[in-house]
Amino acid sequence: MEKKIALVLILVFGAGSNSFAQTISAPGAPTAGIVAAAKKFLATLDDTQRGKAVFDFKDEAQRKRWSNLPTTIFKRQGLRIGDLAKPQREAVMAVLAAALSPQGYEKIVQIVEADDVLRKSTGQSIFGRDEYYVSFLGQPSATEPWMIQFGGHHLGLNITLAGEQRTLAPSHTGAQPAIYELEGKTVRPLGRETDKAFALLSSLNEAQRKQAILDFQMRDLVLGPGRDGQTIQPEGIKGSALTEKQRQMLLDLGGEWTGILHETVAKAKMEEMRNSIAETWFAWSGPTEKGSAAYFRIQGPTVIIEYAPQRLGGDATKHIHTIYRDPTNDYGAKWWKR
Amino acid sequence: MVEAVNRTLCRLALLLALLVFPSAVFAHRDDQYLQASLVAIEPNAVRLQLNLTPGIAVAERVIAEIDHDRDGAISENEAAAYADSLQRDLTLRMDGRNLQLKLTASELVPPEELRTGAGIIQMEFSAIFGPLAAGPHSLTLENRHLTTMSVYLINAAQPRFATVQITRQKRNQNQSAGEIEFSFQPVRRGIAVSAGPT
Repeated sequence: MEKKIALVLILVFGAGSNSFAQTISAPGAPTAGIVAAAKKFLATLDDTQRGKAVFDFKDEAQRKRWSNLPTTIFKRQGLRIGDLAKPQREAVMAVLAAALSPQGYEKIVQIVEADDVLRKSTGQSIFGRDEYYVSFLGQPSATEPWMIQFGGHHLGLNITLAGEQRTLAPSHTGAQPAIYELEGKTVRPLGRETDKAFALLSSLNEAQRKQAILDFQMRDLVLGPGRDGQTIQPEGIKGSALTEKQRQMLLDLGGEWTGILHETVAKAKMEEMRNSIAETWFAWSGPTEKGSAAYFRIQGPTVIIEYAPQRLGGDATKHIHTIYRDPTNDYGAKWWKR
Repeated sequence: MVEAVNRTLCRLALLLALLVFPSAVFAHRDDQYLQASLVAIEPNAVRLQLNLTPGIAVAERVIAEIDHDRDGAISENEAAAYADSLQRDLTLRMDGRNLQLKLTASELVPPEELRTGAGIIQMEFSAIFGPLAAGPHSLTLENRHLTTMSVYLINAAQPRFATVQITRQKRNQNQSAGEIEFSFQPVRRGIAVSAGPT
């Protein structure tokens, strides 16, 4: 059944202006709606732009060309948002709105906005909303596999679609500053992740904490960008040692990543995580005081999530890197790779 | 002479970049050499995969360790020499006995890429050992490579073989040294292979 979702969202990719509100329609939330939005975007491009935006689905170099780093340091390919006209930028955002949940879309917009805050505070044009790139691998299709990439500093979204199946793995989210003021409101792009993790930690009893808390420093993501194909031995406390309420909290925390994608696939992913929650681990490294800079990891049979504050830039709570992976299905490989 | 000038220009360009874009340094790891080790234990071998990422502010020091003739390029001999130097700074022990590491793969990115802070040097070593006795074992790794500028990660890879079960991992505070406790349970008919990652 086709569903029409009307989203009133703040778009940050205004043409030389500050944020503005726009209504985005995502008709037919399943793949057909995303395909329609993607084709609409491609139709706004000229041949040269289209040639830059669309890669062969088998282009492994482009598939893996994503990073947390600024675009001046790690060169992306595809179309730079700053080089697009306003209707084209809006069409890009409509693709994301169709593919993501409302809260996932909001998170992505806030991450980009954080980079724009960084641009303004540092006066450096290497940051900001213009420095994000969009590309497709393969042609938008409701039946054949294809991929949407959208990323720049602190963002690497890799959405693989194969019919009605979709995955976000692997994707990087991050933020600097991770808390900022915009139009009189305090914005925390990764605030729910942070708060839910501390809530879960504080729910653990002493014996559980002894299992969950690692007694060494975690200075960075273990399985961040460039670590495709690696799988580490899980550590911390196993889901089977958590209470039912704590397991739900763990799922809810993981949902901050799995829920970035549209609910039609996020629900299925959450159900998959729920089915293997007893085999899912939660590990913590660093201080335990609420709001402090601490690392945590969720690792189950089909999910790996890491959250790593970065000490660079001063306050580590204001500079965060995260990664989301599926060790069994990064890039949706099990749907198309033979 | 030309190479010396080019080298100087490269350094000036880096200095200029740091002056013009100080926030590029501000925004990501800059003054540290991240050394991430992934340790894969197999029934008769250990495979060690190292991803080495120098931050933009320490890249020149790392390049100086590799590009000995200062010609701005990394030759095969220089790459091999750097791998040797790294290997000498690694100690791998199985149940208290030293294991001999052998370089099995390496990929050194050009100096100009290392200078961006995004370049990753990849090295893989392996150590072959005789048949393991059934039961518990301990593997330790110590990394003493360029300690003054480095941060470390050591992790056991999820075993690809069902005969190997990791039971515990321990590290020192900065993860320059770690111990992986595991059990080995041989099977009679062939080696059971678990479903590995894609």
